[in-house]
Amino acid sequence: MKTAARGGFWPVVESVGALVAGPLTRLREELDFLAIVLISAGLVTRGQWRFLFRHTLQQIYFTAVQRAYIFTVVGLIIGALVALPLIVFGIHDPLLLGRIMHIMMYHQLDPILASLFVAGMSGAAITAELGELKANQAIEHLVAMGLNPYGFFVLPRLIGVVLSLLVLTLWLNVGVTVGAGGMLSVYQNIPPTVFFRVCLSGLSHGSLALTGGMVVMQGIHIVLVQTQRAFRVNAYVDIPRALPSAFAQSFIGCLIITLLVSLLRYG
Amino acid sequence: MAETLVRLRGLELNLHPPPRPFDFRAMAGETWMLVGAVGSGRRELIRTIAGLAVPRTGHIELFGQVVERMNPRARARLRGRIGVVLEHAGLVPAWSVFENLALLVRYHRLVPDGEIEGYVTAFVEACRLPPAILARQANELSPLESSWIGLLRALIIKPRLLLVSAYLPRETLVAGYGVWTFFEEMVVPMQMTILVDAGPQALPMGPKTDLLVMDQGTLLAAGRAVDLAGHPDALVRRFARFDHA
Repeated sequence: MKTAARGGFWPVVESVGALVAGPLTRLREELDFLAIVLISAGLVTRGQWRFLFRHTLQQIYFTAVQRAYIFTVVGLIIGALVALPLIVFGIHDPLLLGRIMHIMMYHQLDPILASLFVAGMSGAAITAELGELKANQAIEHLVAMGLNPYGFFVLPRLIGVVLSLLVLTLWLNVGVTVGAGGMLSVYQNIPPTVFFRVCLSGLSHGSLALTGGMVVMQGIHIVLVQTQRAFRVNAYVDIPRALPSAFAQSFIGCLIITLLVSLLRYG
Repeated sequence: MAETLVRLRGLELNLHPPPRPFDFRAMAGETWMLVGAVGSGRRELIRTIAGLAVPRTGHIELFGQVVERMNPRARARLRGRIGVVLEHAGLVPAWSVFENLALLVRYHRLVPDGEIEGYVTAFVEACRLPPAILARQANELSPLESSWIGLLRALIIKPRLLLVSAYLPRETLVAGYGVWTFFEEMVVPMQMTILVDAGPQALPMGPKTDLLVMDQGTLLAAGRAVDLAGHPDALVRRFARFDHA
């Protein structure tokens, strides 16, 4: 009886331990991977920097330039949706509206939305592309013939996605502000110029640096998770399994980063 | 005196159960054909020399340098002199054939940027392939075409050591131009050392063929087929039979 109870108790303890240790293990693996990527950046020779530069530009094109239209539309619609409850609650004070925009949108929701889109679109594309190269042994061939996989495949994507995410978050902020300003000017008679001015006036160097740092961390996290998952692919059948789990892990990580930065900012 | 290009000392492949360690040496310009039953460790040996698998114990010397003692940059430079062909062609599907062939030429800066196009085109023509193939995307190629482009990608860097662990197709992309003719015309003049695990149907085996007979992850015997035909081990004698190829 006692043995049975002990047999039931320890597996539960083990499961709880695994549940707690799991995210920490993943974090450690991610940091290990980041260290390898950064070390590999130091191994890039002078001639190979041109490769890195060209591939980084390609990544920026795929992530930021090609998605700019989607981010504009999404930003305008989200801005209009955010303005609606403010109109319903009858909030007329432009200063209060500007403050709400800062706390709710610029500091939290816009970076989350931008990272959601980037993880879902560019991140998934990275996992699928590198997963395919891993499954068809392209990466193994190139590594065996002297190519540095982290410097060649990961670093340009890391730099490209981080820069793109910064630009896209800024662009989303602009879209949301225009969308909300348009709705407020129609329904609350608040001139758009006044609304834009109060939104701009709330920006400080400190808050910009904090938000920028948060977005950089989100970008790094997205690329590390997606490339790490892609490098674990052994066969083509692993790719459809890797895609959703990589997306979920990268997005949850972005939420945690936002939460931690928000606690730092307001806590 | 010929230079030692590959030297394996006390190498124990990472297989289960742990195989017996073995030594091996390949000189510049030699061609060694790996033979043995399925699961004998031929593929693992090629992968280990290529740096894709880590041995349990032992040392690998390439071009006279112990690989594990080299720093990553020197190791990458050394690996830039090795051509590798594995089971899958391993091309980047979204790229054109030209981009696939030019990648390592650019990466290792083998020719100046302005001359890469001419270099790749001339190489493809020398291999008797139509230059039009360079414009095609890798994912449009047939399996036969892919495996040839994979081989050409390994050869275009003019490696000093070629490691092949793939079943090479008997025919090239040109009718009547067989793989052995290709090897004699294109590969042998490059004077590289070749370790090939390509299957008996791809490359013909004769009495003078150098064989590396493997079994259970270890090297049973190495030498000319004609010499190994009288080997005391029946398994070696079986794989050294050149009349069946």
